[in-house]
Amino acid sequence: MIVNFDKLCEELEKQELEAPNGVASPTTYAQLLAIYLYQNDLCNAKFLWKRIPQNISSSNPEIAAIWAVGRKLWKKDLPRVFQTLAAYHWEEPVATIMRALEENVRERVFNLIGKSYSSISIDTVVSTTWLSKEAVLQMCRDRKWELNEDGITVNPAPPVQPAPLHTSSEDQLFKLTDFVSFLEN
Amino acid sequence: MASPLEQFVNNVRTISASGNFRELCDIISKSDEVLQRNGAHLNIVLETLDIQQHSLGVLAVLVAKFSLHQGSNDVDRSAMYQQICDFINNCNGEQVRFCPELFAELCHLLTDHLVELKQPIRGIEILKKAIRKIQLFDSQLTSIHADLCQLCLLSKCMKPALEFLETDVTGIGSELGGNNDSKHFLLYYYYGGMIYSALKNFERALYFFEVVVTVPATVVSHIMLEAYKKYILISLILHGKILLMPKYTSPVACRFLKPLSVAYHDLATSQHAAAKHRETFVRDKNMGLVNQVINSMYKKNIQRLTKTFLTLSLSDVASRVQLSGPAQAETYILNMIEEGEIYAMINQKDGMVVFLDSPEKYASPETLCVLEQQMAACTKLHQYIQEMDEQIQVNPQYIKKSVGCHDEDMPATSQNSKTTYTM
Repeated sequence: MIVNFDKLCEELEKQELEAPNGVASPTTYAQLLAIYLYQNDLCNAKFLWKRIPQNISSSNPEIAAIWAVGRKLWKKDLPRVFQTLAAYHWEEPVATIMRALEENVRERVFNLIGKSYSSISIDTVVSTTWLSKEAVLQMCRDRKWELNEDGITVNPAPPVQPAPLHTSSEDQLFKLTDFVSFLEN
Repeated sequence: MASPLEQFVNNVRTISASGNFRELCDIISKSDEVLQRNGAHLNIVLETLDIQQHSLGVLAVLVAKFSLHQGSNDVDRSAMYQQICDFINNCNGEQVRFCPELFAELCHLLTDHLVELKQPIRGIEILKKAIRKIQLFDSQLTSIHADLCQLCLLSKCMKPALEFLETDVTGIGSELGGNNDSKHFLLYYYYGGMIYSALKNFERALYFFEVVVTVPATVVSHIMLEAYKKYILISLILHGKILLMPKYTSPVACRFLKPLSVAYHDLATSQHAAAKHRETFVRDKNMGLVNQVINSMYKKNIQRLTKTFLTLSLSDVASRVQLSGPAQAETYILNMIEEGEIYAMINQKDGMVVFLDSPEKYASPETLCVLEQQMAACTKLHQYIQEMDEQIQVNPQYIKKSVGCHDEDMPATSQNSKTTYTM
């Protein structure tokens, strides 16, 4: 199931703002908090956590659990993010968002490793991504990262840049005309 | 017998019907006292007026009613929120735009009320609506903007304010400009800067604080002073040094702000300043930003290393930047790479870092896109300036003044020439 999280996010924000007495339902808060994490919008997530009334956050363990993940993200303690994600049994509708979040973060970790390391030990990769060794080796093969002869370290390759944005020549011509007409006048 | 109050109601009805709202504005501004004195009957007056047809009249009554109850514990306040919301939702925008200062006053009252109730989040949606209603165009700054930002800060819900903060202001509402109080103008930029620093958009925050500090002034306000302190902190986080104030800053600001924020200047020069002036920072509620300054110092130092070295071992990085060990250095570097603050490769096998040059060749479609956006922004700015120039040239006051000068100049020069002639 593909959910448009951005749209859901807008709806939830609206729900919160229009809530009578300024207090929204726990599910609204939980989903919104999870979505902010998914969008890696940690500042807004932090402030949302701070403004959820105390009695709601203490009586809903799920909200607290979501923010536990958020706290690890804030500290950039990525291995623990996966650990905290696995430690709680998520209920729908939050579960969908959390699954998407996990994939998102894992993708980010692999991109970061590819970008910043010329060689890294497999054990480190295993511990940062919270995957089994086989899964990591599989990911490395998928990304065409070379395994060194010693069998302990891999040489990551930088992530492939996405294809350049295609702009039509008409569009470019339009902008150019605009620009030239500005200079001429 | 027509009491002054009845007369007021009659005036509102007849003039609203005839559509001469400017005249109605004058009458309303004079009947302030009448309304205040008849506080007890205002509810009945409200019932006789229609929100849509007599928006201005209702507005005046509401303002009188709620400013009256200020301080006293009245039962009426429970209905206040609902009544103001109804009014903002249903009033006739065209009418209230004749009297923006009164409309803004109502919004200030609502804001104060919600702050007192400690339910600031309830006002965000309604103030957004209020701003849209009173604005003549999207980029006009009104004094309600400051209220919105205040509520957003208090409720810790910053996102709704962003759509307003991100629009660059090109005009100022009449209730805010001219000879009026500049408080709401300063507050808007101060709160805006705080919102941006909370969301870690430091560039924008710096700009907002700069606006506060560079407002032409003959005296220094407290808002300016606090903004200046935050300006220093943000500038340290962002650039690692205190940026010089722009040349157009009022001399009075330069003279008074510096001696009043010594602790903050110390922060730039000594490492122990944070501990030494801890009390000041806590009192000013700036400790969070101060901690971020300290954190950013490590980053700045690592960035400096990239300028000197091509490769360095992680333990060397740690000792040069005064971190606890190679592991901490690795995390810092990793975080900085992710943020795009440095370009480097870590080799875990040898424990080395290779610092790279920026891979940006300025030849990608993204660069072109950025360039196009910047050019569009410049073109737009040029257009604004031209429009402003044209407006000034047809401004009667300007013409009078420039022509007047000319007239005075003429005899003066002729006199001069005469004297030279006689000599």
